[in-house]
Amino acid sequence: MKRRLLALIPPALTGLGLIALWYAVKRIFEIPTFVLPSPDEVLTAAWTEKAVLWSAMMVTVQGALLGFLAAVSVGFLLAMALGFSPRIKASFYPYILVMQMMPVTILAPVFVLWLGQGLPSIVAITFMIGFFPVVANTTMGFISVDRNLQELFLMCKATRSQEVRYLRIPGAMPYFLTGMKIAGTLAPIGAIVGDFLAGSAQNGVGGIGYMTISYFSQLKTPALFATGLTACVMGFVFVGGVNWLHWRLLHSWHDSMVKKE
Amino acid sequence: MATAAMNQPPIVKIDRVGKRFGTGPVVLDGIELSVAKGEFVSLIGPSGCGKSTLLRLIAGLTDATAGTISVEGMTPANARELMFFVFQDANLLPWRRVAENVELPLLLRGDTEGKRRERVAHMLEVVGLSAAATRYPWQLSGGMKMRVSIARALSVAPDILLLDEPFGALDEMTRDKLNEDLLAIRERDPFTGFFVTHSVTEAVFLSSRIVVLSANPGRVATVIDVPFGYPRSGELRETPEFLKLLGETTHALRAVRNH
Repeated sequence: MKRRLLALIPPALTGLGLIALWYAVKRIFEIPTFVLPSPDEVLTAAWTEKAVLWSAMMVTVQGALLGFLAAVSVGFLLAMALGFSPRIKASFYPYILVMQMMPVTILAPVFVLWLGQGLPSIVAITFMIGFFPVVANTTMGFISVDRNLQELFLMCKATRSQEVRYLRIPGAMPYFLTGMKIAGTLAPIGAIVGDFLAGSAQNGVGGIGYMTISYFSQLKTPALFATGLTACVMGFVFVGGVNWLHWRLLHSWHDSMVKKE
Repeated sequence: MATAAMNQPPIVKIDRVGKRFGTGPVVLDGIELSVAKGEFVSLIGPSGCGKSTLLRLIAGLTDATAGTISVEGMTPANARELMFFVFQDANLLPWRRVAENVELPLLLRGDTEGKRRERVAHMLEVVGLSAAATRYPWQLSGGMKMRVSIARALSVAPDILLLDEPFGALDEMTRDKLNEDLLAIRERDPFTGFFVTHSVTEAVFLSSRIVVLSANPGRVATVIDVPFGYPRSGELRETPEFLKLLGETTHALRAVRNH
């Protein structure tokens, strides 16, 4: 316990140092607040804007979560199809790669054209960002089944569906969860970018991306910084949740999680 | 014992079997072997003699390129229900607990849950792992993993058990113990055994017959009958008769190597 507390000292000192530097730069170069607010001004802005920021965060969380779930489930099913037949993989994989290469900034207007401003477009953009790592990793998992285990199932006269259920899916789990982890890191970013490009304030408030534009256009720079802070908090919570899920599903048996004796 | 067994019709008949992978060298050539129900046959020989391949041919995991193999009158692929394979490494599913690993073949063939539970409990008791039922494979030693693998193989009570160097990676003491346990298990749940090994001691201790293969290509060089009856205890290894046969088998193996 004591050792743990001691371990916190170096990062805490770094943090204090950076804040001191921030104040110093602002003071020495006499930078106005609308260009660089001081840390206390950012916190004050976060406090006064807390209702708006909270709603914005909830809107973005919604987009991130829905996009993430879509990426994970569609990615898993697609990977299963790709993993089972080399022919299906050969037919579709190049186009998945092409889609991956397509920058979201170009896709965003297309989504807005098709789905309109707001949540559906944000979810679509988040999905586009998160779905590829899930597909790539999970496909790898389905393909790299242990040959000896496959022979074991052959000796058991297992049916194809038994092999899928008892061997392929559990075997692909670590790969799938790695893909899920990457998608989980990208989802909040995707939702913010999506909101930035396709967000709207039709239902009261916009998301974090939308508020960024709003505060910027009003030159409310401290609130703009506070929005960034909000995005960090949201990202941490989101990634923490996904990591917990990863640990929860693997810790009992997988090499990467298991304590060495 | 061995002669009595030979008067029965063979459970496995290998007739002029050859195996070649693609256009590579001939791995096995003209293998002839008839094995009666209840025999325990070890396949031994230098590396590359195709002993593991022969085992896999009997299991139907790969097909012969010449000759035929019949298991109870069927092709190996059709006779899989009668056989089970114990793989070189324990080959357990890492995400299934010990009991769940033993249960797997029963689950796959569609046994009811009650029947499975009863059989798994019995098998774990037979291999002495009842206390480890809820552990995961990573929590087991190499010897324990092999026990789980054997319990899993015997859970379906196969007529024929094919073992591919199951104890090769274990230390000698663990190996001796598992050899004795394997024979004790066979007294309770009899099976016809095929056993691939590098260890002469193991072959002599376990088998009713030892088939010595030569390499390049793999051919049957010598067949040695082991005259000791079952059950066998660990003390057998210290008897002069055992040591004599050990010497003879080692000699046969050396002759093949120098060939």
